[in-house]
Amino acid sequence: MSDTPTSTSEKVLSARPPLWRDIVIIKWVTQVFLLVVVLTALWFLTSQAGDNLKARSISADFNFIERPVDIQLSEGIDTHPDSGGRALWVGMVNTIRISLIGIIFATILGVIVGLARLSNNWLVRRLATIWVETLRNIPLLVQIIFFFSILTVLPRVSLETGPINGWFHISNKGISMPRVFLADGFYQWLVVVLIGAAVSYFVYKKRKRIHDETGADTSPVLWALGVVALFGILGIFIHPIFSWVGSIFGALASLFDSLPILAPQLLLCALSVGLASTWIIRFIRKNRSARGHLSLVDDDWFRIIFTAAVSVAFIVLFVRWTGFSSWILNSGRDLFEVIESKFNVDGAARPFDAMRPDIVQPGKFPNYGSSGLTMSISFAAVFFGVVFYTSAFIGENVRGGILAVPKGQIEAANAVGLKRSHALRHIILPQAFRVILPPTGNQYLNLTKNTSLAIAVGYSDIVQVGTTVFNQTGKTLPVVGIWMLFYLSCSLTISVIVNWFNVRMQLVER
Amino acid sequence: MSDFNVTGAEGTVSIKPPPETPKLPPRLWIKENLFSSPFNIFLTVASTGILLILGRGLLSFIFSHERQWGSTATNLRLLMTQAYPEEQYMRVWVCVGVIFTLTGLSMAVWNAGSRVALRRLGSFLLSTGVVIDILTLLAPFSSSATIIWLCVGTGISLFGGSLVKFSDEDKTMSVLTVTVIALAVAILSLWVVPYGHHSFVFERTPRSLAEAGTVALTTKLPWTIMLLIGIAAYFAGKAIREKVSQNVLRVSVLTIWFLAPPALLYLVLRDPDFDMGHVLNTDIPIFLVFAAVGAGLLFWLTRPTAGELGKVIAAITLLIGFGSFLTPMRMIIRILILLLAIFAISAPTFAGDTQTRRRYSLGWIGVSGVTCWLVTAINTPSTVEVPGSFFIGGVSLTLLIAIFTIVISFPLGILLALGRTSTMPIFRILCTWFIEFVRGIPLITILIFFSIMFPMFLPKEMEIGEVASIVIGYSLFSSAYLAENVRGGLQSVTRGQHEAADAVGMTTPQKTLFIVLPQALRVSIPPLVSHCIGVFKETSLLAIIGLFDILYIARNVIPNQTEFLGSVRENLLFVCLIYWILSYQMSKASQRLERRVGLGER
Repeated sequence: MSDTPTSTSEKVLSARPPLWRDIVIIKWVTQVFLLVVVLTALWFLTSQAGDNLKARSISADFNFIERPVDIQLSEGIDTHPDSGGRALWVGMVNTIRISLIGIIFATILGVIVGLARLSNNWLVRRLATIWVETLRNIPLLVQIIFFFSILTVLPRVSLETGPINGWFHISNKGISMPRVFLADGFYQWLVVVLIGAAVSYFVYKKRKRIHDETGADTSPVLWALGVVALFGILGIFIHPIFSWVGSIFGALASLFDSLPILAPQLLLCALSVGLASTWIIRFIRKNRSARGHLSLVDDDWFRIIFTAAVSVAFIVLFVRWTGFSSWILNSGRDLFEVIESKFNVDGAARPFDAMRPDIVQPGKFPNYGSSGLTMSISFAAVFFGVVFYTSAFIGENVRGGILAVPKGQIEAANAVGLKRSHALRHIILPQAFRVILPPTGNQYLNLTKNTSLAIAVGYSDIVQVGTTVFNQTGKTLPVVGIWMLFYLSCSLTISVIVNWFNVRMQLVER
Repeated sequence: MSDFNVTGAEGTVSIKPPPETPKLPPRLWIKENLFSSPFNIFLTVASTGILLILGRGLLSFIFSHERQWGSTATNLRLLMTQAYPEEQYMRVWVCVGVIFTLTGLSMAVWNAGSRVALRRLGSFLLSTGVVIDILTLLAPFSSSATIIWLCVGTGISLFGGSLVKFSDEDKTMSVLTVTVIALAVAILSLWVVPYGHHSFVFERTPRSLAEAGTVALTTKLPWTIMLLIGIAAYFAGKAIREKVSQNVLRVSVLTIWFLAPPALLYLVLRDPDFDMGHVLNTDIPIFLVFAAVGAGLLFWLTRPTAGELGKVIAAITLLIGFGSFLTPMRMIIRILILLLAIFAISAPTFAGDTQTRRRYSLGWIGVSGVTCWLVTAINTPSTVEVPGSFFIGGVSLTLLIAIFTIVISFPLGILLALGRTSTMPIFRILCTWFIEFVRGIPLITILIFFSIMFPMFLPKEMEIGEVASIVIGYSLFSSAYLAENVRGGLQSVTRGQHEAADAVGMTTPQKTLFIVLPQALRVSIPPLVSHCIGVFKETSLLAIIGLFDILYIARNVIPNQTEFLGSVRENLLFVCLIYWILSYQMSKASQRLERRVGLGER
């Protein structure tokens, strides 16, 4: 008698609901429906675009990369590029150049601003607050254009302009200063420094071990840096004896030349399979419960299948697209050949050299020559704009990070008698850095993207060059595609680096 | 959690103010804060030097006789509204008046404005006067101007000082009163001081660079009326608040705020030339049919017992909505069917008693009415004749694009955030890819793409203005960032809240709408406000693609006028000032809002 209700309820529980009420099926149907709608809309839009472009007889292909264009760039590694692709490449290099320099200076200035906002000195605190509140609340573009408009009305170029005549010039053609550059002996010198770095690693380990065992203050970092510096100085005198290193790279180049195309293909396929299978195995292992049962929901299956599909797609890509493999081989060979040629220096060449700015007058107007390190005014406007603007945000991050360290930590450090510098280095900064890093990484991303505003002042970054290219060739869509790919890979690179640091910082935690 | 709440009954919990640091006498304070150690002394000297050099440089730049401030003063109207026709300028003032009225009304309804101690006000005035005096001494004024400004500065500080000295410890004043007094002084100065009259500099004889009174003459009367309207609205709001229930009042004021931008834009500023015959024959009947049918359908669908038949009908409506794109028909009908489908699908979420159901149906009538009216207004040609692509520019265009972008990107961003945190893989992947893709590329590439290429992606018969396509692109961009802010809020909603909602038998939409989103949005108020400020600031990028926003006018239009050739820096400084004031005020307001909703206190 008592069996009947139990069995009914069990039946009710175990029976699957009808199709239209099954939550799994409803979810999948909704998703597939949405996917179909999105794809249809995309297809509709692109087909319209195709029709419209055809009606105006514009084609959206990538021919312009190889074709010659008539573009003159204001600055960069090549001011008269011979093809559209080369022009875009110059733009990319310019963007990367200004972003890297900007990131470095914005970090330095930002840390100073952040510390100044926490200073004991009332006036310094106020000054930093004014700095932050002014720069944060004015659009970057307005700032860049304002700096540019100030720089354009500076005096004309002559040897007498500038705070330090002959060494440091400021004029309406830009800012020029002495330049230190790599000379012929640099690569041999680099070998000496690398050896020094290896030695310093062991020195560091040794000093660290002594410190850990005895507690004596052995300052391992200082020692390691000292060893590297020592080798650096030594290298200036002894680097010619390392000219034989070039032959190693020569051998590598000929090895790459003799390899068949199959080798990189096999390597890439193995890499793709290996990565995918490692990921799947780790994923399955992670989802195994304590008793060893797998509990995979449909979402997890989706991930596994997706990973496998991606790896198969890559294998097909590598096998079918032999051009990529031969490109790897060729570029490897070229790379090693170039490195080998760098070592072919006869006699004692200096690793570094320096030159003062000079002024040339090719036509009517004088301009800076190539011997000094010159910032054009466009570069300077964008540079000051992004550096000042980002420094305000980084300063706020630094301030927030230091304030986020619990007061008890500082008090505890004082209580165990740590020196102030030690407390800062071992207690406050590691904890603050953990808070500061993620938002600051975001600011680096923003800075990189913000350099695209250079188009307003005519600095030849990728957006400006791209605009010129599509104005000449009419290939708007391909150029926009190249922009997006470029910026996406920049963002990806920065976030990978920042994440790597982030993970390392978090490992310090318990 | 419950333990804490039981002991601390509501209202008795008071947050202790931090212990007051004892006020140091001035000499000790200076010693403590400026000269406590050698390094500190060095810092003080160095930063004083920097301040003096910067202040002197800025002031001698501003008051140099080479500056053409007349270019800004004469072109203020151009900077604000571009080439809006002179004879229809009344429309602009009506818009400003509506905004002032709404502001006054909302201040009364939300009981805005804290009180400030008179002593704090006094010390603020004191330091302002001192700063004015120092700046006067730094600036390259003629001796008479120096004396006048020194008198002004000293007067202000004396007034502030007397407030500090003679007012009671606990005497306070409403911030609103202070603001109104400040505004009144500013507007009074329009009547007294001839702005655009550039004198007191270098020469002994005042020299007029602009037409005397270009700013003051045309705007003093309207601004006075605006101030009075604002004050009147405030008191009217106070009177209404006594009689009407708080909730009704707040909801209606909020609704007016949301309807105001499109109404002002399409009805007042654009001055549409309605084709009454078409409206009466086509638009109103369509609206009536949809309102009646939709209201009936929704009233039936929101029955708690509607069950599966309701879902089937909702799904059929949705299919009809998508299917309507296959056959030629009016766009308004397609939009209305799709809207109705959304309402039908979400009907079970809002099901309830008769009153709830009636409210839901009324909501449908309101939404469909607004949609019909908007579509009609957009399709009606404008009578405002302006050279150029868009009928308004300058600051107005900046504000317009910022407001529309924020309003459009808000729901989009919330949807994207929900999609990204969803458990359904395809939704999540689509949303994640979209968000990460958009966040990886700079805004200017999106704006260039949308201004040049977006019209290409539309069918030939559809035409879209440049401003509209830019707003679409900008909204997509902004929604990706907004989604990340909302996602942060969504993740802060604790698991217990989800489980509690499940336990009382809420459906997923109900849980999301009534439990999760309100808490998530409350947490993400600070990042959302700073996002809005960012959207406002980045509208300056419109200048690059050649829209007539304030930056473009200041940089490319005014410096080319024959009487003000090359006056770029003056106008750029003015643009900086406008952006700075607006952004700074917004960020201050967001800090007050944060404190008011009690973030970080629970």
